[in-house]
Amino acid sequence: MDETVRPETLQGRRGDVVDRPAGGHAPEALLEVRDLVKDFGRFRAVDGISFAIPRGKIIGLLGPNGAGKTTTIHMLLGITTPTSGRIVYFGKKFDAHRQECLQRINYASSFNTLQGRISVRENLQVFAHLYGLKAPGARIKELAAYFEIGELLDTRYWDLSAGQKTRVNLIKALLNDPELILMDEPTASLDPDIADKTLSLIEQARSGSAVSILYTSHDMEEVNRICDEVIFLDHGRIVAQDTPLGLTKRILTAQLKLTFDGERGVVEAFLAQQGQRHRFAHDYAVVIDTTEKMIPNLIFGISERGVWITDIEVKKPTLEDVFLRIARGDGHVG
Amino acid sequence: MSGEHVRAILLQEFYITKRTLEVIMDLLFTSLMTVVLFGFVSRFLVGALNASSGSYLILGMLLWEIIRVNQYSLSVGSLWNIWARNLSNLFIAPLSLHEYVIAHMLSGLLKTVIIFLLIAAIAAAGFQFNILRLGLLNLTLFFVNLTIFAWSVGLVLLGIIFLFGTRIQALAWGFIFLFQPLTAAYYPVAVLPPALQRLAYALPPTFVFEAARRALGSPDVNWPFAAAAFVENAVYFGLGLVAFILMFARSRNTGQFARNEG
Repeated sequence: MDETVRPETLQGRRGDVVDRPAGGHAPEALLEVRDLVKDFGRFRAVDGISFAIPRGKIIGLLGPNGAGKTTTIHMLLGITTPTSGRIVYFGKKFDAHRQECLQRINYASSFNTLQGRISVRENLQVFAHLYGLKAPGARIKELAAYFEIGELLDTRYWDLSAGQKTRVNLIKALLNDPELILMDEPTASLDPDIADKTLSLIEQARSGSAVSILYTSHDMEEVNRICDEVIFLDHGRIVAQDTPLGLTKRILTAQLKLTFDGERGVVEAFLAQQGQRHRFAHDYAVVIDTTEKMIPNLIFGISERGVWITDIEVKKPTLEDVFLRIARGDGHVG
Repeated sequence: MSGEHVRAILLQEFYITKRTLEVIMDLLFTSLMTVVLFGFVSRFLVGALNASSGSYLILGMLLWEIIRVNQYSLSVGSLWNIWARNLSNLFIAPLSLHEYVIAHMLSGLLKTVIIFLLIAAIAAAGFQFNILRLGLLNLTLFFVNLTIFAWSVGLVLLGIIFLFGTRIQALAWGFIFLFQPLTAAYYPVAVLPPALQRLAYALPPTFVFEAARRALGSPDVNWPFAAAAFVENAVYFGLGLVAFILMFARSRNTGQFARNEG
């Protein structure tokens, strides 16, 4: 991507400054969800969730398959009707002001595609008219140049590669200069290079305008990279909500790997005496599941017993560990 | 209602139609081949039997295309977006349901007018059957009544597709043919058994086809038949619209609308 192209494109027509309120004031919520419930027959897919998305923030919506992420997104987009609860965009109830709200938001997903039989330009023209753009041609050209697909505008959508389609989907999602974009796994099925570029584009979009993003993904690294805050869903409920760092800090366990020169039996006896869960990688290396607080005691205790520690490796919990805990049923983290 | 939104959907319909061989084959090619086929069959029947039975066939065929093309366009138009996984993108934009439906009706009407003019010209030039024999007022009334009936059926089928998904998509292009024998498109209603005749007169196109056959002899407007067709159409269209709105709401409620593309 041409880093020097600094888009008017993404600067937004509402003004260049990201509306980050001064300290002490609660950030303006573009979207407020209150007690949202969705039942499919007897199955409760979304179970009374409440959250808000402030202006200029990227909020990750994570959870294992079947957690209720996609159903939530579909309700937020108005293509699935909630059983109960309230969705408020820009201070207005979504069900009463559907079109007005949809004019100011947009959506990008790797699961939806545009019309494959017609060209990229034709697809974008349709959406430009739907969003009532004054000069659709110029806007499409401007965004296409920014996303480096200017030469593909007259190519049929279905002839594009996965990465090119993602860029076109992102252009569609930015056409109306939205204040909030809902993104449902926008990098799924992309190769790492294109996924990285896509993330950079999202980061640029965020830094260049006041856009907020609700972002679902299974890739914890990218969530860690771009999200200001993460909401974990499990069985339709919010089980954790914090910054990525805050969430990982809630896991108190860490993994300590010690490589040593000495008797394996001595180490084994000491760890058993301390009640520490462990396994030997080989005769001279042990992996201990412990707490961060215990690490100095364990190192000191083993050294004290005449075992020479040659290498220490501490693995702190990652967002992926949080995800795995929730996915494996330990829904409440910390 | 936003004209810009309607224009957007019409634009998409234009792009899809122009670039999709299936649409061209289903609408234009099928209509052209049918008029040629029915033209020759009519010519044969006129020679072998009498002029009126031959004319009935080509007349019925020309008028039937008004129903078929209108209904196909309304129901199948949405399937192109479902197949492309683009339908929810449209409804995520600030497009209302009535704007979407009106745009598809207008698109269907436009296609029908173009195809009807073409096949009517072929019937006149190639098979000496001039549809204007019916009289312009008659023709307009027939066109309007058949279009409204096609829209009513199209709306119900579109609702069923939204509600049950693409597994019943064949109805979109096949179901309409149920009405072809019932509405006596190619023969007088009297040919039908009495029970079916009563059913036939419960369908607006029956009045149109009957009136059209009579108009071959005299272009006077059969006002009682025109009125009966309009009244029935008003009921069918009203019911079709309510059924469509309810099915759309139900598909959003069950999650099927979003799942249609999943």
